[in-house]
Amino acid sequence: MTLFRPMLIAALLAGTAPLAAAAQQAASPAPVAPQPSAPAPQTGSPTPAPGQQPPGEMIVDVVGGTSAPAQIAIPPMPTAEVQQTAAGSTDVLGRELALIVTNDLKNSGLFNPVSGEALHNISYPEVTSPGFEYWAGAGVQALVQGFVRANGDGTLTVGCYLYDTYARSELTRQGFVVPPSDWRRAGHKCADMVYTRLTGEGPYFDSRVVYVSESGPKGHRIKRLAIMDQDGANHRFLTNGQSIVLTPRLSPDQRSIVYMSYLNDRPSIYVYDIGTGRQRLLVPDTNLNFAPRVSPDSRWVLFSMAVAGNTDVYRVPLAGGTPQRLTDAPGIDTGGSYSPDGGRIVFESDRSGSQQLYVMNADGTQQQRISFGGGSYATPVWSPRGDLIAYTHMQGNFRIGVMSPVGAGERNLTDDWQDEGPSWSPNGRVLMFFRATQGGSGVADLWSVDLTGVALRRIPTPLDGSDPSWGPLRP
Amino acid sequence: MDRAEKAGLGIAVVGHVLLFGALSLGLFSHKQPEPPPRSIEVSLVDKVGLEATAPQSLTPPAQSKAPELGNPEDAPAKPAEESEPEPTPPAPQPKAAPPPKPAPAPPKPPEKPAVKKPDAAKAPPTREATTAAKPTRAEAQATGAGTRQGKTPRGGALGDIMRGIGAQPSKSTSQAPQAATMSAQAAMDIASKIQQQVQPCANQQVKPGPGAERIRVVIHLKLRRDGTLIGNPEVVGYDGTDDDNSRYLDRVKDNAIATFKHCSPLRDLPQELYDVPRGWSDFKMRYKLPG
Repeated sequence: MTLFRPMLIAALLAGTAPLAAAAQQAASPAPVAPQPSAPAPQTGSPTPAPGQQPPGEMIVDVVGGTSAPAQIAIPPMPTAEVQQTAAGSTDVLGRELALIVTNDLKNSGLFNPVSGEALHNISYPEVTSPGFEYWAGAGVQALVQGFVRANGDGTLTVGCYLYDTYARSELTRQGFVVPPSDWRRAGHKCADMVYTRLTGEGPYFDSRVVYVSESGPKGHRIKRLAIMDQDGANHRFLTNGQSIVLTPRLSPDQRSIVYMSYLNDRPSIYVYDIGTGRQRLLVPDTNLNFAPRVSPDSRWVLFSMAVAGNTDVYRVPLAGGTPQRLTDAPGIDTGGSYSPDGGRIVFESDRSGSQQLYVMNADGTQQQRISFGGGSYATPVWSPRGDLIAYTHMQGNFRIGVMSPVGAGERNLTDDWQDEGPSWSPNGRVLMFFRATQGGSGVADLWSVDLTGVALRRIPTPLDGSDPSWGPLRP
Repeated sequence: MDRAEKAGLGIAVVGHVLLFGALSLGLFSHKQPEPPPRSIEVSLVDKVGLEATAPQSLTPPAQSKAPELGNPEDAPAKPAEESEPEPTPPAPQPKAAPPPKPAPAPPKPPEKPAVKKPDAAKAPPTREATTAAKPTRAEAQATGAGTRQGKTPRGGALGDIMRGIGAQPSKSTSQAPQAATMSAQAAMDIASKIQQQVQPCANQQVKPGPGAERIRVVIHLKLRRDGTLIGNPEVVGYDGTDDDNSRYLDRVKDNAIATFKHCSPLRDLPQELYDVPRGWSDFKMRYKLPG
């Protein structure tokens, strides 16, 4: 007994030291459940200390935050002196640039730019010495300021500064020198700088999208190849619409677009050279070939070809050459898409009786099914981040979904009548797809959605649109 | 401490013992009727509570002196136990009381020995040892707190009584500091006050992306007496990062710093606990997003 007692006391002391202290103070008769945590002050930290805290140290635990869009302000960018440039006068450009940044950040769904009264004009010197008090008082947490300057050689310099108004500190800054024709890109780059610094994600605003522009009645749709900036600006048509185009894909080096065309009424894959505007047939073969996608190194094109009634996935050099077959299962294997390291391929196959997703090595070995949910799956695309595969999930309606490369964590991001054809943003955070309306008209438009399922919005296009392909960040 | 309080604590202790519960506890309860053991337990609890939080650095010098004096004479019992090597009182003691800070380490070791001593030796020597140990604790905590303190210094100190006395008075003069020693409760109160003041700013921090809530960032803060920040908060540690969320680390660091800076200066913190050991002149804040 006497042997036990001290041990018990010791255990009790060790286990309830904080409690004992509390009991002393409050003389509370009913002890709360003793927390065997360190005697150091803790205010509601559910987890144990990461590093053992030395005994002589006070640590205050704070847990707090919100998932609401961040309050941010992007006042018009002032200019030291108003000058005329090929892109317009610098003061006008400053206002436009601020709007570009504002729209980019707002469209990401992660920011809530202030507008109206609170957004007062700033002076040129204020760019580098912001009025933290004013902005913090207006509820603005992040502040983006910049300036525009016309250089002697005709180029423009756009300075971009990001401040944390609560911490009263500058988070980052960058300057961009652009030719007048690319002035909008300076705004996108500024927005990318802000987005990257405040979210930790990679940049994606300074990028382009190719898609199929559609117009005309359903029975006689005109489908033209088109390219535009990610925000819909600088839109232009690449083909005249005399023949239907489908599934355009921008190559990662951004020099060519591979797509399927019904030129001469024979569906085949063509390559469009963005620099020269020329088109050429990729696979000079009489067999039906479709669903092209370019490899991450822009050297290969994955595509599908129907030979003797069996459709398989092939690859062929982008420069042209002899196709190499990668699958040989009976049935339709199609829709191949490379992983970002080029080592693996995801594709769809109906070998099980319905369209499902499979993953294999780049040489066609180790084919493995990864989708097992209800319904069928199509148009898989590997994320540029490598961690997810997006696809069209067909079960009643068509929805955009994502799952891991091993088929885990499947979830749908959209829920509408007919959403299909997802394409990843350069940073793997946003998906663009096309949504067709219900009914006979069959009109489709481009939409985008954040990976978290928020920020669903329509991408403005001059006409209707389908089959978007989001290109990489511009160099 | 009132008798009632002590009794209350005693009851609490008994309750815990029952909870922790073993049959052996029941046996103890039977024996407990004997007054001496109980009183000992209570006193231990009080001391523990105080010690756990803190006074370590301030008072120790005086304690060390007394023990030293006493040690050589009473030595036999102590050497056997673990406590002595760690405390390393000899060095500080000869140097004299002036340096108040050397003590931090010693206070805790004494506790353990005291507890263990009873185990090892049931004979009279144990009592001596315990008594010796207890006074040290009491002194360390607060001179006024322990009634037994007087005994030990007197017993231990022969010619050195002067020193011991001298040390004690000095403490009394600096009574503010004494009161200022950071008890566990006071530390919790201050931490709670700080947390409450910065919470509104924490709540405004925007989560950068999924998985960021697993990251926890520790920042080091130095304050002036008026609650304003000295320099910029410094990130001194983090954990919870993995392949999926490491890209959010920088932003969570920003969140932690902005949380504090936007809600500083701090207000209404006890001035007497500003620069005591573990005081709020220098502390750390550990921040994470909810979820």
